[in-house]
Amino acid sequence: MNGLVHRAEPVLRLQDVGVSYQRRIGLFKRGRFWALRNVSFSLYHGESLGIIGRNGAGKSTLLKILAGIINPDRGQIQRASLRAALLSLRIGFVPYLTGRENAILSAMLMGIHRRQIEQAMDEVFAFAELEEFIDQPLYTYSAGMRARLGFAVAFQSDPDILLIDEVLGVGDADFKQKSTELMRKKILSDKTVVIVSHSTSLIHNLCDRVVWIDRGESKREGATDEILALYSAQNPVTRPEKDAARKWHVI
Amino acid sequence: MRHYFELVWYKAYADLRTEAARAYLGMLWWVLEPLLYMVVFYMVFGHLLQRGGPGFVSFLLCGLIVWRWFSNSITRGATAISSNAGLISQVYLPKYLLPPMILVANTLKFLVVFLLLLAYLIIVGSSLHWSWIALPILLATQLLLITACASLLAVFTPFFPDLKMLIDNGLTLLLFMSGVFYDISSFPEQIQFYFRLNPMAMLIEGYRAVLLKGIWPDWAALGTTVLVSLFAICAAVLLLIRYDRIYPKVVVT
Repeated sequence: MNGLVHRAEPVLRLQDVGVSYQRRIGLFKRGRFWALRNVSFSLYHGESLGIIGRNGAGKSTLLKILAGIINPDRGQIQRASLRAALLSLRIGFVPYLTGRENAILSAMLMGIHRRQIEQAMDEVFAFAELEEFIDQPLYTYSAGMRARLGFAVAFQSDPDILLIDEVLGVGDADFKQKSTELMRKKILSDKTVVIVSHSTSLIHNLCDRVVWIDRGESKREGATDEILALYSAQNPVTRPEKDAARKWHVI
Repeated sequence: MRHYFELVWYKAYADLRTEAARAYLGMLWWVLEPLLYMVVFYMVFGHLLQRGGPGFVSFLLCGLIVWRWFSNSITRGATAISSNAGLISQVYLPKYLLPPMILVANTLKFLVVFLLLLAYLIIVGSSLHWSWIALPILLATQLLLITACASLLAVFTPFFPDLKMLIDNGLTLLLFMSGVFYDISSFPEQIQFYFRLNPMAMLIEGYRAVLLKGIWPDWAALGTTVLVSLFAICAAVLLLIRYDRIYPKVVVT
């Protein structure tokens, strides 16, 4: 299965993992819905693992499992004592606090120590190109400025295993390029990264190995080119549009 | 561990800042709002129902201010987990941090009002008593009681959101059973016993004893409350740890 060369012990191994949510279907009736049924794969130190699958395949739930936010209802997870975290932008942002205060709170929620973020503050705001707004309340920021600050803060968090959901860069065109470039460098470095996406081109460019998730099950695991070819054969390019339409329906 | 301590403080600070920034009068509302609340009760009980009499205002204030601390903390603390649904579904946070974040902010706001109460009592001439040194003990006991009740409720409300309705009405019932508007010791002996099973009734009596009468509170009752609360806090923390990674699936973002 493992398309690449020998690697040492995995840092994370999932075996037959399933996650179910309870849903209310009547006044006293509850139904169970399995978002993940049967997922198995391993993550190795220093690699970039792509997880591909259509919308609703269970990718987001899988990320929550990897990040340790929820526990699976069945199956097993073995993990080395490493910290895995989702790259979450703008977590805990409050419009009434200043940019600086939001940066501190957000960073602390992501597990960064207060002194550490205070030391990095100038760097964060310089990267976000928001130096003159540092002590302005967040409600004076435009959407693009908030996105920039969110990215700059989130990038400070440096977990052992970085989990990325779809989006790499944010903001207006210039900043998007800058942030995407930074993420790309981080992913291609020695960092252990998991990227979730339904875009074959994104995964093709960034990942060493790929796991294909379909309707809550891990279908294949292997080298990027091999798995993407199989995935594309089953999911023609028109798919995203259909998915988008389907998503609308559900909402 | 120290990080979590700092996080609770900073979140409490952020919540207070947000609250203050939200209204034109900002921090003034921390005082104005309780004042309005007390005026309402004063009008009803002091004037409409003619319950007044000398010293009624001080009597009422002692009860109302500490009751408000209790009741606000319970209402907000009980939903500590569901009100942070967005947060806990994006990052891992130990869930036992969530009730304290709310309680710290609420307690700081209460302390401002409580200091004003003390100032008021001194101004209207109830002389300073030695018994006032027992206040920190009363406050600490009440803080433990609040933490215990709020955390225990916070454990269960995500699973049974309907609890919220019960909590609001339960608090109203408890308000009338805690002797905020009347003196429990004016009741017949047998009934007093049942009222004193309610720790808030006992605490309010304690505050009045210390602040108005200059005598010590009922130490045995305080001790019992402390022990029961500590036990309940431990149970709540253990349950919050047990369901730590279940809550993000249960709460609705």
